[in-house]
Amino acid sequence: MNAVEVQVENISKRYTHPVKGEVYAARDVSLRVKPGEFLTLLGPSGCGKTTTLRMIAGFETPDTGSIRIGDADVTRLSANRRNIGFVFQNYALFPHLSVFENVAYGLQVRGMPDAGIRREVGEVLELVGLSGFDRQFPAQMSGGEQQRVALARSIVIKPRVLLFDEPLSNLDAKLRIQMRMEIHQLQRRLSITTIYVTHDQEEAMAVSDRICVMNQGRLVQDGTAEDLYHRPADSFVAQFIGRVNMLDARVTAVHDGKLEVEVLGTRLRLRNPSFRPAPGDPVRLVLRPESLDLERSRDQERSRDQERSRDQERSRDQERSRGSEGPEGRVVSRTFLGEKIEYVVHCGGENLQVVSIDRGGDTHPAEGDRVRLRFYEDTIAVLEGRKR
Amino acid sequence: MSHARAAGAGRVLKDPALTLSVLVLWVFIGLFILLPMAVLLVGVFSTDGRLTGENILQILSDRNQIAAFRNSLWLAFLVGVFGTLLGFLFAFTACRAGVPRRLTGLMDALVLLPLVSPPFTTAIGMIFSFGPRGLLTYHLLGMKGATVYGLWSTLFSEVLTFFPIAYLALKPMLNAIDSNIERMALSLGAGRFRVFRTVTLPLCAPGLANSFLLLFAASLADFATPLILAGNAFPVLPTEAYLQITGMFDLKGGAVLSFVLLVPSMLVFFLQRFWVSRRFYVTVTGKGAGQTPFDSVSPAVGRLLGSFCAFCALVIFYLYALILFGSLVRALGANHTFTISHFRIIFTEGRKAIRDTLIIAAFSMPLGGLYGVMVGYLTARKKFPGRLSMEIASMINYALPGTIVGIAYLMAFNQPPIELAGTAAIIIALYVFRYGATGIRTTIAMLQQVDKSIEEASESLGASSGRTFRRITMPLITPAFFSGLGVVFIRSMTAISATIFLVSINWTLITVRILENITELSLGPAAAFSVFIVVVVFVVMAAVDAGMRRFKSPGGAQVASVLGG
Repeated sequence: MNAVEVQVENISKRYTHPVKGEVYAARDVSLRVKPGEFLTLLGPSGCGKTTTLRMIAGFETPDTGSIRIGDADVTRLSANRRNIGFVFQNYALFPHLSVFENVAYGLQVRGMPDAGIRREVGEVLELVGLSGFDRQFPAQMSGGEQQRVALARSIVIKPRVLLFDEPLSNLDAKLRIQMRMEIHQLQRRLSITTIYVTHDQEEAMAVSDRICVMNQGRLVQDGTAEDLYHRPADSFVAQFIGRVNMLDARVTAVHDGKLEVEVLGTRLRLRNPSFRPAPGDPVRLVLRPESLDLERSRDQERSRDQERSRDQERSRDQERSRGSEGPEGRVVSRTFLGEKIEYVVHCGGENLQVVSIDRGGDTHPAEGDRVRLRFYEDTIAVLEGRKR
Repeated sequence: MSHARAAGAGRVLKDPALTLSVLVLWVFIGLFILLPMAVLLVGVFSTDGRLTGENILQILSDRNQIAAFRNSLWLAFLVGVFGTLLGFLFAFTACRAGVPRRLTGLMDALVLLPLVSPPFTTAIGMIFSFGPRGLLTYHLLGMKGATVYGLWSTLFSEVLTFFPIAYLALKPMLNAIDSNIERMALSLGAGRFRVFRTVTLPLCAPGLANSFLLLFAASLADFATPLILAGNAFPVLPTEAYLQITGMFDLKGGAVLSFVLLVPSMLVFFLQRFWVSRRFYVTVTGKGAGQTPFDSVSPAVGRLLGSFCAFCALVIFYLYALILFGSLVRALGANHTFTISHFRIIFTEGRKAIRDTLIIAAFSMPLGGLYGVMVGYLTARKKFPGRLSMEIASMINYALPGTIVGIAYLMAFNQPPIELAGTAAIIIALYVFRYGATGIRTTIAMLQQVDKSIEEASESLGASSGRTFRRITMPLITPAFFSGLGVVFIRSMTAISATIFLVSINWTLITVRILENITELSLGPAAAFSVFIVVVVFVVMAAVDAGMRRFKSPGGAQVASVLGG
């Protein structure tokens, strides 16, 4: 089967809110999903991602803009003529029909003969690992099984586009991780153009080829997981994806390849951002917890660990040499999490999150210790600063 | 708003089946709900073609009528208070007093008796028991010339008749209170009574207000009980309106009298529907807290409450047993030899009434059920211009006292262009558009349990809206249809307040015959008729219940009871 492209051009949807008046659920959203691509709409609740998905499905009609699936303009076409597969958050299984009847429904609508239906349903149930469940009713099944039925029901009709509306939010954490892998693999195998909605950034990163972040009805950034994480378009994306320290800084110099800024009393040489700041401009720095590291301040360390050999210290220094030295701070809290240790360090009036990989040994700073911060400059992104 | 309306209009044009159903329903609602009301209003507010309020003023200056109005309100208030109290006591005992399940089951069954019998059944029992030749007053106590008529016996009879409404409204509410809340209060050191006073009771407050209003409305509209028991000393409005029309052949005067009832009735109805029902702390979704029930009282108090409820149930049982007894002896209170002559009478002389009633019920039942499901589905699930107006209009005949509706029908349909007076059609129409409304509520309540995404799933799989309704929605709300059938049938067998104005030589009803028998003091046949109705209703209800069970889809939505709504 040939995968098709989905093109969404400037669609908007507004509704009347009893208090706020006219509100845009989606505003000028444009998307282009390549044939066979897995695209995720990611954003907090109320950002318009579900509305956008429902317009693509045909459950809502956009006020303006157009939607194309393949070569056809489907903007005004009702949902039952679009040949799409939709997986709902609550699965929306027909409670009065058995698993077989649920999955067969779409084929019956299409007028397929019984023998063909039996064959197709059998195959798809095997594909999702539910062979032998034909006669069960949805209420008798676990959440994960119901999810598979919903999946089987929407792919058996060989839809041109597969749409998911937060399909995993009703499952427990472990099952969620397992199901998202299965969905990912299934999509790869069937190579159906897929649009997936979620508010869980980790889920989005795990399943998608490409992610579109939405906020307040608008599409904010469109890119791969790496793009969003390392090169966020604005502070919303930076804060929504992963954990982050946002620091105000001032540009001190601009070289051709690098940007020199001053932050917390330290000078850093960073990658050039997409915009062109001039010396003296305010900027905001996006520091991931792992863009920072820390070590005990030297004097403190000496007084405590007099007996430690100089060799050890030299190797530690080498290991950390990629980071450039920063200001001093004090450890406010320390959480041991197995493979890593999370710190909150108070420094220059800010509480900074720092994650450091635990490589054994008992030399890690404790709460209350004075520490020196280190910055890994290559991983720090720069955003336009607040104009005063 | 204008935007949403435009979208709704667009949808109607795209879906011809929807357009057609909406139009047809509006024609019927216009004809059988709006037209009679309009005719009534015109009649009340005009004299010789002039618009005037003098008809109303005339009533308001008549001291007798003022007294009747005051009596009506006073009786309704008392019934509301005592009925709610009794209903709450029953519900509380069943849910929170640690009474064995078997006993509450028995209570449930007995309490339902008044709901499925004609509204004046307990009144007949009262006469048998406390009348001049009553079993208790004359035979046991030896009282001569005891009088059973007046406010207190009317009140007693109406409370017994209507308190099951309060019980049915309050029980799911008490059940829905998460008993962990009460345990929490207990663990914080509050005593049982304190928990009841500070937690359980406040959580029930909206339910109590709700049931007070329901009972107030029921009593205000009740016509049969006061007609039998109130007597001349305690006139109330519905009976006055009836006597005005049947006794003095003054249709207009009756209309004006009944109109005076309209104002408090509508007020109470909208108060109940749009104010109280929004203040519920616990939404009753049928999803119980799923824990062991909390015992709010000590075992001793529990036993006391249990005994009291058992006693009340016994009183109901006694009144009904008395009616059965009265139908099987020559003359209750005078000659207690066994006879089947009363039943012979109702199956010979009364055969026409039985036949007519059953025919009318058989037609009203499917039509009313269908009407309820259709209006309920359209107003709950479809967008079309005038959706809200349809929902409100469809409730009018149900919300108003039967007396008003009956008089309005009589005025609207006894002259061309639509002359229906004297036919079965007018009675059937009244039942369909009055009692079918309960089916609308049940359908809407059930649809609220069926997530819209289930229908969207069907649509996304390529099914048209018609196919989605047939294959997905309809099977899931079949219980609402059966519940609608049940209610319409029960009311077709037992109602009297509206239809008493619409019966004729051609078409009469059992309930009207019972009333005639009582006024002629032939209580034996009246009792036999009552027994017949109760038996038929129970049989049909069992059948409907079986149908509901048979057609209830696995995983389908729940419907509370055949009497729901």
